[in-house]
This record gives sequence, C-alpha cells and structure tokens, in this order.
Amino acid sequence: MRNKILTVDDSKTVRIIVRKSFKAFDCEILEAANGVEGLAVAAKELPDLILLDVTMPVMDGVEMLTRLKADPHLKGIPVMMLTAEGGRENVLKIAKIGIRDYIIKPFKEEVLVEKVGRIIDMKPLSEAPVKARSILDPADILVVEDKPAIVQQIQEGLKHTTWRVHGVSTQGEAIDFCARQIPDLVIVSLSLPEEAAFTLFRTLRTGAKLKYTPVFGLVVKTDTAVLEAAQQMGISAIITKPIDLGELESKMAKAMNLDMSKRYFDIQGDFLIMQLPENSSPAVLAEAGNYLKLKLAEAVDSGINKAIVDLHQVKTLHMGLIKLLMHTMQTCRELAVHFALVGNTNIATECKGFEDTRAWVFYDTLDVAKSSVGKVAPVQQLVAV
Amino acid sequence: MPATVEISEPLVREHIVRAVVDVFKTMLEQPVTLGEADGGWPPTPPPEPALATPQVVGTVGFLGEMNGLIYLYFDVGFAQTCTGVMLGMSEDEATEDVVNDAIGELTNMIVGSFKNGLCDAGFPCKLTLPSILRGTNFCVEPVSTARRYLYAFNTSGRRIVADILMTTEQ
Repeated sequence: MRNKILTVDDSKTVRIIVRKSFKAFDCEILEAANGVEGLAVAAKELPDLILLDVTMPVMDGVEMLTRLKADPHLKGIPVMMLTAEGGRENVLKIAKIGIRDYIIKPFKEEVLVEKVGRIIDMKPLSEAPVKARSILDPADILVVEDKPAIVQQIQEGLKHTTWRVHGVSTQGEAIDFCARQIPDLVIVSLSLPEEAAFTLFRTLRTGAKLKYTPVFGLVVKTDTAVLEAAQQMGISAIITKPIDLGELESKMAKAMNLDMSKRYFDIQGDFLIMQLPENSSPAVLAEAGNYLKLKLAEAVDSGINKAIVDLHQVKTLHMGLIKLLMHTMQTCRELAVHFALVGNTNIATECKGFEDTRAWVFYDTLDVAKSSVGKVAPVQQLVAV
Repeated sequence: MPATVEISEPLVREHIVRAVVDVFKTMLEQPVTLGEADGGWPPTPPPEPALATPQVVGTVGFLGEMNGLIYLYFDVGFAQTCTGVMLGMSEDEATEDVVNDAIGELTNMIVGSFKNGLCDAGFPCKLTLPSILRGTNFCVEPVSTARRYLYAFNTSGRRIVADILMTTEQ
C-alpha cells in the first residue's frame, strides 16, 4: 500500500518542494495549509507521517501537534517538524509534546527524504508495479572492485546486453557515483580493504533511494568467513570468483525483476518467434520454458496462430533441449498453433540420431520456415516433411 | 535563558550573513557574499539598485525578548529566477502569486535562521507570518526607537538587500 505523507504548511512553496522531493517514490502527498486543515486531513486519511510547520495562521503547528497527541485515533501518527523555528528552547518545548524528528529550514530535499525514510518504508517508484522492465531495457550497473581486470571481465561479459557497466575502485567513489545517479544494481568486491564492502552495503541500505537496490557480493569461493558474513548481512546474492558470466547475468536479471521473455520470444508480423541462444544451458532452457505457455497463449489471444522455433544459433543437441522442444511442440498442438523449426546442419544431423527427433525437419532460414508454416496441419507437418 | 551577549552590529551582521549565505546555498545552490556593509547607526538609505527597479520585498518579524522586522529586497527578475530554481519551474510558470509565496518563504527561512541565533544568545522570540510588498521607489521609515541595520549581498551579479529593524522595548 502506498505511503501517505501529509505536509502541513501555510507556504505553498514548501508544499511544492515536499511534493518534488518525493516524486521518485511510491507515496501520496497530502496537503494542508494550517493546523485546522491538517487535523481534518489527518482524521480522514490517517497518513503514515505528518510534516508540520510551526508558524501558520488559523492554528499553528504546536497547537495542532498538541491536539493530535490528545486524540486516541491520531496520536500514533509520527510527526516530523519542518520549520524555520529552531531556537534550542523552542525545539525542546515542541519535542516534549512528542515528535519523531525536527528539520530546521532551510533544508535539502535529500535530507528530508533520508529522514523520512528512517520513519516510513519509502519504496522508489520504479519498485512499484507500474511497468515491468525488460531484459532489453538499459540499466546502470555499478561495479565496486579494486582489481581492474575483474571490472573489465564483467564489462566484456555483459557487452551483448543493453546494460551500462560502470567501474569504480573504492567505497568513496561508489558513494559519489550513487549521489549522482541511482544504479539499478551494485556489484561489490567483498575483499575490498578494511571491510569497505560491508560499510558500503550499510550506507546504501540506510538511504531511502538505494534501500531496494540489489547488491551482489563478489568473493572467492574458498573465503567462507567473508561469504557467511555477507549472507548474514543480507547481501542480495553472492557471486563467486572465477565469475560464471552466464550465471551472473541471469542472477542480475532476476534481481532487477526484469522480464526475460523478450530474450526468447518475439512477435514478427503474424508469427511468434521463439529463439534459443548459442549457449542453451539448463538455466536458459528453464527460463525459456517458464515463459513458453504464457507467450503462446498471449500470441493466440492476439490472433496469431503460427510459430517458428529458431535454433540456428544452438551448437549442440542435448536431452534438456530435446525435452523443451517436445514440450513446445506439444503446447503448440494443444493451442492449434502451426509451427516450424529453423536450425543448422549440426543440429539437424544430431536429431537423426534419436528415435524421438529423427522425423524433425529444420529449415535453413526464418523466411523459408515462415513460408512453409500452415500449409499442412501441425502434426502432419512434423511427420510428413 | 538570560541574554549572554549584547546585541551589537557585529553580532547582527554575523547572524544575517550566516542566514542569507546558508539559505541561498541550501535552497538555491548559489554562493552569496556580503557587499557594501552598511550596518550601524545612523543608517543610510537602502542602496540605489534596491529601489530604482520594481521590487519584491519579503518581510518577516520576530517577537519576544527582541522585537524586529527584516525586509529582504529582490528585484522582480531575480525573484522570478530564485522561484524557478527553488521550485524546479520555468520562469513562465512562476506567476506573481507563486513568486510572492516563494519570496515569502525564502524570507521566512532567512529571518528564522537569523532569529534562531538570537534565541540561542538569550533573546527568545518567535516568528511572525511572512508578508510581501511590491512596487518601485518606496521607502520604509523606522520609528525612532528602532535600530536599523542595512546589508547588501551579491550573488551571481544580482543584489539582495536586507533591511533590519530591531528594538528591545516592549
């Protein structure tokens, strides 16, 4: 449920700044121009937090706070003062009535967000279920590693993606980077000197903007003490060195909650194309398999009843791949989808070696496969060609 | 808390400079420097540029052990620029009402910061609500019991004038 923040201030300027400060977060900003309006909105909306000015017409902030704390239904709402009234005695007097924090104007928007984030759980807007990001969308990955070769290895290994990999070598540089832009994922070497990775992790988790950013730890597999410490601390995932880049990419996509289906499924005209990559590892096949029924059903729902399974990049046939292909064909038949296979010589030859795959026919190109689909019934097509 | 220091011109200057510099740095990310210091008694009139062009003047008072009013003079163009920067708006979006409110709030922050210094020096007082004056070629005349301090500040080639009127009499 979205957090509600009530800003009570007679200055429209302050209310605009508050609204601007939280625009990147999934929260609703409610406004009131004085204490009377503030109490009314608080009673109606029961906000998760109230930001309260002191000097206001009609009813000032001190009186509103006093009345709020005297109301059994409202007294539990945390209040943060946001006011130019900052003399020591004034602050102490107000603090005694019961407040969670006190910000004296002028204030930086980041400070306001950070202090509010300590009281209520602020979710960045990108975490909200608005639009699922896909594997094809750009993302910023921050790698904090003092060994340039590792940074380079990750950059090289992910260069086929649309992700931008930024390398920094110290905790300080990482914090500076995060102040400039919010990364979608952070990979930090757990072997940085003076346990800097752990300090960085704690720092990232205390800021509202980076609270939910996935943080991966890089560690040598044999360093079990560090590995355990990282797991206990709640690091999102551990990547062991030497890095398996396929595994890393897959974990990163999951951690960023990306829709991976676009890697395997695409609509081209009136065809659904299912394409498997060169390295069709068990993880890749499982991922493609997970989307299979959904994507075929979506295609049928939108009026598409022809599919091409494109294996031309796949180097070798194995049992996992055969199972996925048989499952794909079965699902196509169930949904009355006409289909054809595209493959290379190696795959076609290997298929001849198995009883279940001997009858499979592969076309050389997508265009040839497309022109052949639907000319015969799906089941017959497979047997006859 | 009893007063620990006398209100003197250097003390007033220290607090107003700190307040103006801090508010401009925090809210507008603009450096400000004290220009021609014109504090002391008797005061001279506000520097000429503060009155020759249309002005937006924010006013906030403080009441308590120390009473006073501070007027902050902005020329209209600069007031619009400050509003745009502070609220993330284009200058077209910064209508007169929006500018008035923004300059009122900037003044509130500056006077708040100034008077918080006085509070901590043993002169507890509270802020009044902000108000705005607009016009050209007007002047503010203090009553004879008030002390007046004038300071001009420079920022990005623009000028702001702080006109401080203070009295300890009830």
